[in-house]
Amino acid sequence: MNLRELQVVAACLASRFGASTVFPLLQQQLDKSVEFSTPVTSYRSLQEGVFLLRNDFPLYSGGVVHHPPLLVAFMSSFNSTNLISLLYACADALIAYQLISMAKCFRNSPLPAWVPGAVYVINPLVLLSSVSKSSVVFSNLAISTALLSALQGNCTLASVSIAIAAYLALYPLLLLMPMLAILQKDKLKTVVVTAATLAMLLFSSYKVNDESWNYLFSTYGVIITFSKIIPNLGLWWYFFVELFEMFIPFFKAVFNLFVISCILPFSLRFYKQPFYAFILCLSWITLTKSYPTLGDGGFLLSFVPFFKPLFGYFRYSVISTLLFIHVSVLSPIFYHLWVDLGSGNSNFFYAISLVYALGLATVLVDLVWAMLRIEYDKGKPNIKLKLTPV
Amino acid sequence: MALLEKLQRRASDLGLWYRFIQLLPKLALFCGLIGMAYLALWLPSEGQYRHTYISENALMPSQAYSYFRETEWNLLRGYRAQLELLVNEPVDKKNVILAGWLEEIGLKTAVHKDADHGDSLYGVWHAPRGDGTEAMVLAAPWHNGDGEFNLGGTALATALTRYFSRWPLWSKNIIVVFSEDPKASLRSWCHAYHTSLDLTGGSIESAVVLDYPGANDFFKYVEIFYAGLNGELPNLDLVNVAVHITQHEGMRVSLNGIAESEMEDREYYGKMKQLLLGVRKMALAGVQACYGNEAFSGYRIQSIVLRARGSGGPFDITTFGRVPEAMFRSVNNLLEKFHQSFFFYLLLAPQNFVSIASYLPAAVAFSAAFIMAGLDHFFKGSKSITSGTARSSDTLQTVTRFIACLMTSYAVSQVLLQRNNPHALISVSVLTSMAPLYPSINSNSIAQAHQLKSISFLYLSVVLTSLLVVNFALAFGIGLLAFPMIKIQNTTNSRLRIKNSLLLLATNPFIASCAFANIFETNLSGFDIIRNLVSAWNDLGCWTWFVVCIGWLPVWISVAVSSCYVAEQAEPNYHSSSDCASVKKLD
Repeated sequence: MNLRELQVVAACLASRFGASTVFPLLQQQLDKSVEFSTPVTSYRSLQEGVFLLRNDFPLYSGGVVHHPPLLVAFMSSFNSTNLISLLYACADALIAYQLISMAKCFRNSPLPAWVPGAVYVINPLVLLSSVSKSSVVFSNLAISTALLSALQGNCTLASVSIAIAAYLALYPLLLLMPMLAILQKDKLKTVVVTAATLAMLLFSSYKVNDESWNYLFSTYGVIITFSKIIPNLGLWWYFFVELFEMFIPFFKAVFNLFVISCILPFSLRFYKQPFYAFILCLSWITLTKSYPTLGDGGFLLSFVPFFKPLFGYFRYSVISTLLFIHVSVLSPIFYHLWVDLGSGNSNFFYAISLVYALGLATVLVDLVWAMLRIEYDKGKPNIKLKLTPV
Repeated sequence: MALLEKLQRRASDLGLWYRFIQLLPKLALFCGLIGMAYLALWLPSEGQYRHTYISENALMPSQAYSYFRETEWNLLRGYRAQLELLVNEPVDKKNVILAGWLEEIGLKTAVHKDADHGDSLYGVWHAPRGDGTEAMVLAAPWHNGDGEFNLGGTALATALTRYFSRWPLWSKNIIVVFSEDPKASLRSWCHAYHTSLDLTGGSIESAVVLDYPGANDFFKYVEIFYAGLNGELPNLDLVNVAVHITQHEGMRVSLNGIAESEMEDREYYGKMKQLLLGVRKMALAGVQACYGNEAFSGYRIQSIVLRARGSGGPFDITTFGRVPEAMFRSVNNLLEKFHQSFFFYLLLAPQNFVSIASYLPAAVAFSAAFIMAGLDHFFKGSKSITSGTARSSDTLQTVTRFIACLMTSYAVSQVLLQRNNPHALISVSVLTSMAPLYPSINSNSIAQAHQLKSISFLYLSVVLTSLLVVNFALAFGIGLLAFPMIKIQNTTNSRLRIKNSLLLLATNPFIASCAFANIFETNLSGFDIIRNLVSAWNDLGCWTWFVVCIGWLPVWISVAVSSCYVAEQAEPNYHSSSDCASVKKLD
């Protein structure tokens, strides 16, 4: 780890911790915003859980806490606010460090290794997400640990981490599939270790939660069934607000199938480029999950620098940039018009969440197209050649 | 897909993309002109606007007979005669006496103390048939927006309160407010009502501000003001109800204070005039004279001002009183908050409007014009970068420069808040506009100038887009006044440099808004608009000042900075044919 990389990690730590301590009210503001906080990731509900746990109340009977029991138990061991801010800053800095280490796994990469880390540090979406103390940071950390150890060939750590990520946010379990493609060997072992770790986590949660399985619905059930209908940047909420009661179960199944649908195709089609397949799957999950935040989107965008060789093929880069800028400016405004002033309505905010989805989709489509193009060009970029997708 | 593919191939064959890039400056200009013409010329033409209608059926304006007539006439005159004796008394004494009357009627009263902006007396009449969770406000400031003593208005408010209190049909509480002025003092009361006051009457659904200066019995016509702060408008239903009732009583309606001679003009130019006046009123809400409805903005309160104009007309003051009476009866019928009709509209006549979908393109066009200008400079900049040696460090430098401009603008906004000195501001602006006359001799490449302009135009376009729905009029106004900026070029030609300087002078936020105010607003002469922008933020919480300073000023500064760079060689041209020659088709 050279000086520049150390600087990047230190900057990450300092910016996160500094922003939390210098602007203590920022955390509450961000935690109230629908862009950075959802029922399953919000710090407020995590604090509620910590309070309930410390006072020996049942965690999940109130319907407020949707964090897994072990996370609540872990957070309850910290008392001071500064310590917690430091914990989130450290988790974020660790992600930045892991991004740098990932870049080192690719020999003959055109970029210096510190660049993806630096991009992660200056990405305002990730910064604000970390300052809001959203638990997305922990699942992102688990995902990046899994990806890094898979790249380094450490199958035990990779499978343990992906199990933790799945335990924290459920959908990352789907990333096991592209991860198997990265690991190449010990596939059975990976699956077994992941399953065992997950089972162990679930069982210890059962023990922590007063020997009750009710946490399963409050955490994962809520994610799958979207039973807390609260506006967010995702594609689900508006649909289920409007729908007739009897159709809801069917469409919940459809939306969940939608999340799963592209994982296997991506992993198979890009089996030769497993890291790339992993990122595609990650972006697919970010696009289609039930409770997305800008923190997920920011985490995803930090992987784009890894595909520097493909940049020449990107067709919508200006459009996607403009889309992301407009989303981050307009979504709080439209939410304000709808909820605070009452002069707008839900359609305003939903329109913006569609624009966000479009932004993610253009990135995804661009990545797929670029990789197919470079395959067609047999690895030697030939930007001048114009092709039409048929 | 096949059709799309064919189209794409055809476009590629013709080199449309490159032509498009070459045409960008012209397209940007075209977009801006379209935006201007669309609002001013197209919308007032027949078929573009719609007739207003009451959307919420529960309102039923003027369906019940209004009883505020001869029987109340003497009471009203009595109150007015007593209040006339108090004109020169201090506000405390007025409040004590008026509070006594209100308590006699059966209201609970309290005084909101505000040492800075003036005390406000208010009384709450608890609805006999309601659960006390909702309220309607009747406000009558002691002095109106023009500084006259609001004698008729306050007397009318007292008489109406007494009259309302004898009726058992109210299902919403009635709150009557007497504030020092319709601006800061009423705003301060409204803020306190939602934060600190002990005596409250539930959430306020609507507010009617009465403005009837002088002791004359008769007036000519009614003026209605509705534009709130920060681009907020009351629900169109409330405005419709007011217009409908006023016209039902036989009175003529003037919107936004348009002159008596012009208010009956229903021809094309009359509509155009009303439309543009409405846009101006909305953009300058809080900065111009406030009549009282601005005070309720931001709390989900639909508010309008009813103002009696002229003396010696055919209508007497009780006729004026029947308008708030019938409005209160209408609002009283509501079971839900106002939600049916439009919140975003422009009125071209009391009974004609255009809704958001029709007028939004006008401001979108300006936003698009700036995006195109930004993209144009982006492509020019990247073209010059590839021809030179500069790389990413240059881009970083440009970004840093733009951030510096942003910081400077923020500093300017803060300094003016502390020391409200428009003369210095205007002089500095004029001096800065001279910058292109003396081009800097440093090694900054032309590419950086393009980059800086590209960033700032894209930034302005984002600002305008974010204002589109929140404050259409402001977005349109800034777009219009800042638009000439896109014509500023980097040049060595001294005549063009003078042109650049003039363009900068014309598009400076402060100079442009002063010029605009001096031409179109008779009561905002000199540098008043700058003073009022600052005081509107301090007193009313109107953020137009910050939009101007943080949205428009940094763009202007960076364009001024970038126009100092001089091109060392001719601008690079785009070659469309050579790039298209290598097109290969995939079958």
